Amino acid sequence: MERMSWLSKLTPRAGGQRAPRSASLQPPVTADPETCLMVFKNHWAQVLRILERRGSKPAPDDLSAVRNNTYQMLNLLAEDRPWGDGDRDRSQGDRDMACGPILEFVAAENLLERLLCWHLQGDFTEERKVEQLKLYEMLISQARQPLLRHKPVLTPLLRLLSVCAEPASAPLENSLVLLLNQLCVSVAREPAILELFFHSHTDQGPANLIIFSLLIPFIHHEGARGQQARDALLLIMAMSASNRAVAQSITDNSYFCPVLATGLSALYSSLPRKIEVRGDDWHFLRREDWIGVSSLVLFMNSLEFCNAVIQVAHPLVQKQLVDYVHNGFLVPVMGPALHKTSVEEMIASTAYLDLFLRSVSETALLKTFLRFVLLHRHDNMTILDTLVGRINSNSRLCMVSLSLFRTLLSLNCEDVMLQLVLRYLLPCSHVMLSQKRAVRDLDIYGKTAAKFLSLIPRCCRPESPPPPRDRDEEPPSRARGPGSPGADAPPAPKPSTPSRLSFFMRQASAAPTEAAAPRSPGPPAGSPPWPGPRDEVAELDRNYLEYLRDARHSIDRCAWACRVWSAPYDGEDPRAPGPDPDSPLGRPPGPPTPRTKKRGLPEEGTREAPGGPLGGDEPSAGGSGPDPQDRGTLVNGAHGAAEPGRPEGDVVVKKVRRSPQGEGEGGGGAPNGAARAQPPGWDPLPSVDSLLEELLARVPAEPPGAGVSIETFTEELREIEAEMQNGGVGGAPATPTEPPEPPLSHEEEEAFASFTALPEGDAGTGRAPPRPPDPLAQVVASPPRAVGPPPSQPFTGPFVSVLFGKLENMPHNSLYVNFLLTGLVAQLACYPQPLLRSFLLNTNMVFQPSVKSLLQVLGSVKNKIESFAASQEDFPALLFKAKKYLIARGRLDWAEGPGAAPTLRRPDTLARSRKPSLGELLLRHANSPTRARHAAQLALQGLRDGGLHPLAPPARHGEALRVRNAVYCAVIFSEFLKELAAIAQAHAVTSPFLTE
Amino acid sequence: MNPFWSMSTGSVRKRSDTEEKTLSGEVRTSPLRASAKKQLPSIPKNAVPITKPASPATSSQSTNGTHASYGPFYLEYSLLAEFTLVVKQKLPGVYVQPSYRSALMWFGVIFIRHGLYQDGVFKFTVYIPDNYPDGDCPRLVFDLPVFHPLVDPLSGELDVKRAFAKWRRNHNHIWQVLMYARRVFYKIDTTSPLNPEAAVLYEKDVQLFKSKVVDSVKLCSSHLFDQPKIEDPYAIIFSPWNPAIHDEAREKMLTQKKKPEDQHCKSMHVSGLSWVKPGSVQPFSKEEKAMPT
Repeated sequence: MERMSWLSKLTPRAGGQRAPRSASLQPPVTADPETCLMVFKNHWAQVLRILERRGSKPAPDDLSAVRNNTYQMLNLLAEDRPWGDGDRDRSQGDRDMACGPILEFVAAENLLERLLCWHLQGDFTEERKVEQLKLYEMLISQARQPLLRHKPVLTPLLRLLSVCAEPASAPLENSLVLLLNQLCVSVAREPAILELFFHSHTDQGPANLIIFSLLIPFIHHEGARGQQARDALLLIMAMSASNRAVAQSITDNSYFCPVLATGLSALYSSLPRKIEVRGDDWHFLRREDWIGVSSLVLFMNSLEFCNAVIQVAHPLVQKQLVDYVHNGFLVPVMGPALHKTSVEEMIASTAYLDLFLRSVSETALLKTFLRFVLLHRHDNMTILDTLVGRINSNSRLCMVSLSLFRTLLSLNCEDVMLQLVLRYLLPCSHVMLSQKRAVRDLDIYGKTAAKFLSLIPRCCRPESPPPPRDRDEEPPSRARGPGSPGADAPPAPKPSTPSRLSFFMRQASAAPTEAAAPRSPGPPAGSPPWPGPRDEVAELDRNYLEYLRDARHSIDRCAWACRVWSAPYDGEDPRAPGPDPDSPLGRPPGPPTPRTKKRGLPEEGTREAPGGPLGGDEPSAGGSGPDPQDRGTLVNGAHGAAEPGRPEGDVVVKKVRRSPQGEGEGGGGAPNGAARAQPPGWDPLPSVDSLLEELLARVPAEPPGAGVSIETFTEELREIEAEMQNGGVGGAPATPTEPPEPPLSHEEEEAFASFTALPEGDAGTGRAPPRPPDPLAQVVASPPRAVGPPPSQPFTGPFVSVLFGKLENMPHNSLYVNFLLTGLVAQLACYPQPLLRSFLLNTNMVFQPSVKSLLQVLGSVKNKIESFAASQEDFPALLFKAKKYLIARGRLDWAEGPGAAPTLRRPDTLARSRKPSLGELLLRHANSPTRARHAAQLALQGLRDGGLHPLAPPARHGEALRVRNAVYCAVIFSEFLKELAAIAQAHAVTSPFLTE
Repeated sequence: MNPFWSMSTGSVRKRSDTEEKTLSGEVRTSPLRASAKKQLPSIPKNAVPITKPASPATSSQSTNGTHASYGPFYLEYSLLAEFTLVVKQKLPGVYVQPSYRSALMWFGVIFIRHGLYQDGVFKFTVYIPDNYPDGDCPRLVFDLPVFHPLVDPLSGELDVKRAFAKWRRNHNHIWQVLMYARRVFYKIDTTSPLNPEAAVLYEKDVQLFKSKVVDSVKLCSSHLFDQPKIEDPYAIIFSPWNPAIHDEAREKMLTQKKKPEDQHCKSMHVSGLSWVKPGSVQPFSKEEKAMPT
């Protein structure tokens, strides 16, 4: 649930670190207060003698004497406690105001201030600063009474801090951050002190909260220092939640939000441009993939921090930060990065975006990301359209894009679904007019399921009907390993079936255990005896129950998640959009653009080429969009928004150039990420200033506010139109409010009449339970067509068309593309909205001739597979081997699955071993010792079985690839049909309580 | 509702009054889950499998020719879908629960709250033909023959056929049978009766008819706590109000009603997202919440 649980990590760290030290430190004096005060005064007298020796430079002896005496004094001060501290009778107020004798003395003498002055007069070296910082840190962390509320303590402390504002050596920065962290912990315990920090600073200028401004430069640092700074800042953020003044000072008088957001940009710029790829199945960044890449870890730390800040901070801060993330990171950096021209960079940026979307847990931050993806236009195209187009490209980019959409679909976000699919279905122009009312029909007799199952190619069906299912036996393919708990676990379970999953455990790592646990008892612990290969392959024919179970679960989950949506999308609500259905950004009406765009896609050609899918990542497969001119200016792609001509752009590009393409492996201390953007010795404020200016300059160019107002305007217009159509009724509900319990309601009477008295001829029209006629609904249902877009060619949207195109190509796709592709379509099919459900799953529905249905697409795939099988004489044997391999592979992954800790590995070592041997594919996954062993065993077994690995690349590579893809496709396709059939069946039994 | 008894099924599960519209999370899902568990089980290895009547498996193969092995799934899912439709209908005072042994047999009870049969509590069983949905209409048999023109005085069977002369798939559903069963107690029909005595009395001597009905209602109530006619784990059983058991359950139902959201959230922690203003089809059209000061 909590993907980014910063606070839970934070609490022990803040408190616990200090505790052992103070406990181990012996109080130097255990004597009574009187004596302590005496001793203290004695020390002070000695110090004073040196302090008052004016004029001459302090001798080294003096320094050490002051140092020693100060140390003793501050220890005594830390031990000091108010008079009668143990006296319980005293009122809280008295005790609050009381101070210990030493503290009283310190205050009276203004001792600390005088000490500091003395230091400042002399040569206040870094070493001495560190010393002072450490002393104060000790004092604050160990004091037995609240010290910070007393000006004689606070003022010198703040003065010391302001002296340390200059960037300095690592030891000084460490001590500084530690002290600041300690201060924040104290302030968090006693928020009232915060006021004092403010007040004491009004007389020192506008920089309001010095603790805060000192911490900001460390936000993006790596290691303990950065972590302490972020923890400390987070404490302040949490305080801001209940204190508007703090929130306001953060937003108005500090650079916190801009630094945090633009820091993301800086860190992003140092991410690897190219993701080292192992295994041809890689398609998304898992935790174990990025944990070893230091630049990515750094970025993720900062993103996590943003997430945490948004979680705890005041709404003012939240909003500012979110806006800066949008305008300071997503638009200027992420946008151009996604539009790089090189395929490698496109793959990397898509995978990063996917990772970010999976990692963000705060709704406000997620909203910003989604808003960027759905609405932001780069090169006059929304990010979403660009990404949709990429599905069409060659295998790796396609896979990464499919993963991204899997993430998007798993959010169950209405806005995403609206933009992707629903808005194209809303006008219902894809169905024949007479069919419009059938949109809500549920197929309760499993006709759709039967239809899908009938599409299983003849060559893939078991020769004889399988024996009646023995329920005592769990099919081995039901390998569902518990997901590895990781911060990057996708937000929702993948509605993939266990069977398909078991083939492809990469996806399964996302399946949440707790979700699966209550429903399926799961295979018994300790691996069950596997049946022989022949049996287990046969089991594939009998796993339908698993698909049903899984479909039910996925649909329930999806339906439950969608209850927060604004409308049911059942063909009547919401109504089809008015004349301008499209986004307020002046987009031309939906249908034409995507069509023309689709035609123009450069990938079309390459995609058709036989053997193409696995043929590598030629740059020619690049997505549509990126402007070739960009190539020159944006070397490392950090800062795309800056046009070549703009000065800031140059600056940043230079910065990026300075950082080589390396993966950030250069030792821990090396400048990394933020450090790169903020070289040592720089003056923090001016630099931040320039960042800020740059940002502010950009803001008016991209006004989110303007969009909103247009949105609301069109909305209002639409409402007025609707009202006019309804004769000004204003949408009063047609159903009369019922008396508590009429013996037989009016509706009931009508309903009864309708099902008893219907003439025979009307039977079998496939109607759902008759609804009481609702005159208003009918009025509402028809007119929008009149005002709607001109009945041009109905179009179901680029997303659907790309998916269908890819599906149609299934026999040529790689195994992995097909896994992801079918998973995505299945995920789509689980959505309960009648518009979408009827479009994908109602096989009785009659569509407009130009609209391709899923059934048609699948039918064509079936034909392709059958004709391939007919042309390949050893098809049955190949099919058997492919099944066996896929099952073994699934089991392999599963064996590693449960409880396997995410291994920190340089993943490419094993995979790189160039053994073009049998089982190469298997070994690619041999990332852990267990896996490697299993893989080796299996490969050997394959040898012994006398069968070459079905996929062993023979001489003619292209041809082998073609055969391999087609055979795998046959297996996947059959399973996919079962999955779809199960989903179709499960829709009819979704609990009404979930959807209501 | 009569406070002196409570209704329960053989299992622990209960269904709360559907009229109360909001149901608690647990209760919400339980009827379906119960049936789902029954129909889509992976029966633990050591459990005694209660096999279904062999008939559905074989008969349903006729449903759709292509893949005979999937036939049973179609039948069971169709019945489950029928049950879901019943739940959707929220028929006042009508409760059903498919039996444990067969999805083709449903137990039910009907509460009559107005009219001649006021206070009647009639238990019944629905028998669905095994060639459903292509066969005859389901039969509905009351446990005790209620005094009613359309109820057979000996067998207790309700004349369902008069309303569903021919059972038409896609058009007729089981909830309609239940609605019809409820309706006959409010709108009395005397044409071609199964119980001619009742029909004649209703026409000629309503007072006597009424008193006979009252007797019949009393008789049914007096047998309320009898063991169910058909032994089945999911049979509907009534028991006298026992504060030790029922008070707590009642309390739970009432309190859960207040916060059904929370309850459900626990069982399914997943929430979708939406920033679409109701009625709009623009993404992110919902206004931001006003900022708290």
